[in-house]
Amino acid sequence: MLEVEGLEVAYGDLQVVWGISFQVPRDSIVAILGPNGAGKTTTLLALMGLLPIGAGSVRFGGEDLVGLPTHQMVDRGIVMIPEERAAFQSLTVAENLELGAYTPRARTVYDQTLAEVYEIFPRLAERRKQSAATLSGGERQMLAIGKALMARPRLLILDEPSLGLAPIVVEDIFGVIRRIRDRGVSVLMVEQHVEMALEVADYAYILEMGAIVAQGSGAELEADTRVQEAYLSL
Amino acid sequence: MSQLVAQSIVSGLLLGGVYGLVALGLALSFGVLHVLNVAHGELLMLGGYLAFFAFTNWGLDPFVSLPLVFIVMFGFGVLLYLCLFRFVTRTETHTRIKNSLLVSFGLALVLQALAVRFFTADERTISTAYSSEALTVWSIRIPVVRLAGLVVAVVAALALEWILSRTRFGKALRATSEDWTRAALTGIDVRRVYLIAFAVSAALAATAGSMVSLGYSVSPGIGLGWTLKALIVVVLAGLGSMRGIVVAGVALGLVESLASVWIGGQYREVTALVLFLIVLSFRPLGFFGRARA
Amino acid sequence: MPRAAGALLGLLVLAAAIAAGLTVGNQHVLTLTIQIMILAALATSWNILGGFAGQISLGHSAFFGLGALITRELWLGGQAFPVAVAAAVGVTALAAVVVGVPMLRFRDIYFAIGTLALGVAVYITAGNLWPGISSLPAEVLRSYDFTGPYFFALGVLVAAILVSVWLERSKLGLGMMTVREDEEAAKATGVDVFAHKLAAFVISAAVATLAGSAFAYFSVSHYPNFAFSVIWTFEAVLVVFIGGIGTLVGPLLGSIFFILGRDLMPTDVDEFQVVFFGLLFIVVVLLFPGGLSQAAGRLLGRAGERSTATDRPTAARGRS
Repeated sequence: MLEVEGLEVAYGDLQVVWGISFQVPRDSIVAILGPNGAGKTTTLLALMGLLPIGAGSVRFGGEDLVGLPTHQMVDRGIVMIPEERAAFQSLTVAENLELGAYTPRARTVYDQTLAEVYEIFPRLAERRKQSAATLSGGERQMLAIGKALMARPRLLILDEPSLGLAPIVVEDIFGVIRRIRDRGVSVLMVEQHVEMALEVADYAYILEMGAIVAQGSGAELEADTRVQEAYLSL
Repeated sequence: MSQLVAQSIVSGLLLGGVYGLVALGLALSFGVLHVLNVAHGELLMLGGYLAFFAFTNWGLDPFVSLPLVFIVMFGFGVLLYLCLFRFVTRTETHTRIKNSLLVSFGLALVLQALAVRFFTADERTISTAYSSEALTVWSIRIPVVRLAGLVVAVVAALALEWILSRTRFGKALRATSEDWTRAALTGIDVRRVYLIAFAVSAALAATAGSMVSLGYSVSPGIGLGWTLKALIVVVLAGLGSMRGIVVAGVALGLVESLASVWIGGQYREVTALVLFLIVLSFRPLGFFGRARA
Repeated sequence: MPRAAGALLGLLVLAAAIAAGLTVGNQHVLTLTIQIMILAALATSWNILGGFAGQISLGHSAFFGLGALITRELWLGGQAFPVAVAAAVGVTALAAVVVGVPMLRFRDIYFAIGTLALGVAVYITAGNLWPGISSLPAEVLRSYDFTGPYFFALGVLVAAILVSVWLERSKLGLGMMTVREDEEAAKATGVDVFAHKLAAFVISAAVATLAGSAFAYFSVSHYPNFAFSVIWTFEAVLVVFIGGIGTLVGPLLGSIFFILGRDLMPTDVDEFQVVFFGLLFIVVVLLFPGGLSQAAGRLLGRAGERSTATDRPTAARGRS
């Protein structure tokens, strides 16, 4: 569904991503893992058109995405949840969800989607009139995901979904991610929490210093001794 | 309280209404685009001249020409955004503010010079049939043309508040103001939001200008003074906050008039500036503003 | 170009300027040159604060005006000129410390608008307290000789540039530039951010005061509040950017370009001149952050000057 080839991204003169290639097939969860500073978030931002792409191609369902304005990508169903507090603090829960369905495509099924989101996250329904700034960390993440779902994504991109969350909340979140995949949405996620990510991912890539050093299914990588030593503290 | 002081206070409140009106526009351009448009006062000046010439050449009453002024200057705002401020918004917030400060300062110079050339340096005031009419309350004179400024300010503020809290676009505006990256990721066309916000800010400045040329006077050099007033009000109300702008404007007008009674009219402006500096040092976010993430 | 060549060129220009001051008789040329030197000195002073330390001040005319006022009042009141100048610098430096301590707590835009507000307040107050025009008395006027003002202005300009050169090479200047680039990072590396900002502020004020003194010496008659006018700030900022902010000779290049340009313009209409320079300024800020210095540097084979505005359309700072 998403095919990235030879992606190069630079910050001014500083090359951060050195020609990486990866895919996100339909109905699957793909993880990009790696240490801090590896270029994971940079890759995502470049995908979404928020950073200039130096070279490489990005195709979604066959369509070339490079150069497309961010809001049009959202309209095509590519929705990214940025790291930490993706919701708007100055708006209420309900307003955030309402804005989530900003694109024309999502607006047509607004009521239906809203009902679905409140079903997946009953706590958001309880707090719908509250300002997003008053939510707990876990609830904010739920709101962020709920808001993203309002846009009716075909591909959901998550930047460090587990960051700053208590372990039990992380379990819940990953459970939700599985449910989302099961409903026919592809997921691309960048994670630092390698162990949990490998358990939930169908396929994963390890990114170090802007290049892919390993890839394979979740099970394969879990069994890989290099990965075990470097990331799984076994 | 003596008659003089009471009259002075009322005058200050009325002028404060216009302060609030011009500040609304600046709050919009600063709050949403995070650009500091130093030429905001020049947009007020142009609006004032537009209303003036609409009156003297076509006989249009300033209230009748108000929508015209709004629309024409909205268009001018679109032009300014597309030709100029669009390039400034390409950078991150920190450099954005610095660049916009400089760019708009150049723009202010240009607009002011053109105004001197084409309109001459004379002061202009719109004199309608009702220009000398006034309400008299407890022997305090309230000129109708100045009361209008306050009324228009309140109406504009309420309209803006309604748009921001009730409409989809208004929420998109608030979202973009908080974090444009996240807004883009939500599917909001950030450039279009910027364009409209900036154009409205120009139109609001022009509307204030219309009221200024009716109740006070316009001349090419008034721009910087009005920009400073708007800036002071925006800081008083809380940078980034739309609420309480008209209140802050009226408060400023009040402080100024009290100062002119006690210290002397010469130091009216100075008082406002000193007050501004004091508020700035204790509460850079103003009285109403909340800290933003 | 390498330091030695630059210094040599500077000395040649200085020699030419001295020679011109001694030989040229054309009043118009002398007037223009003095105007260039005064503006260049003021611009250089602004550049120390805005270009080296990165603090954009929009109230700089306050120091210029103060320098002009104190010098003029004392000098015309009977004091020897050098005494008047010394007094002006002393008072203004003190004022700069008093004002700088609270002001420099503000960052970026707050500092810019805070200084703007202060500058305008000072301008209005000066106009209220000294409303009468300040004219050179008749005897002085009769024997008005450009030589004194010319060489004093030249001396002030040379001093201003030397201060810039010294700063650029000194540890103090390096600290200032670190603060300019990234305050948080500077603090983290142990740089006393506030002290450096204050130093830049006071040094810049002192130089601006000297420029004001030069103006006081040169001007036949003016309203005292004119020297406090925000126009001086605007012109200084304008020429610094046109010439190249943060460079050594940018302010001077910009001043030459501006004053000569204004004089040589085909149009007599003041306003169109302003329009031209205003538009040029906008273009420079947006497209050529390095100004004339950058252009000249390229011509002479040097790598591009430091740029001021980061123009990257980026979403976030360096992250993984």
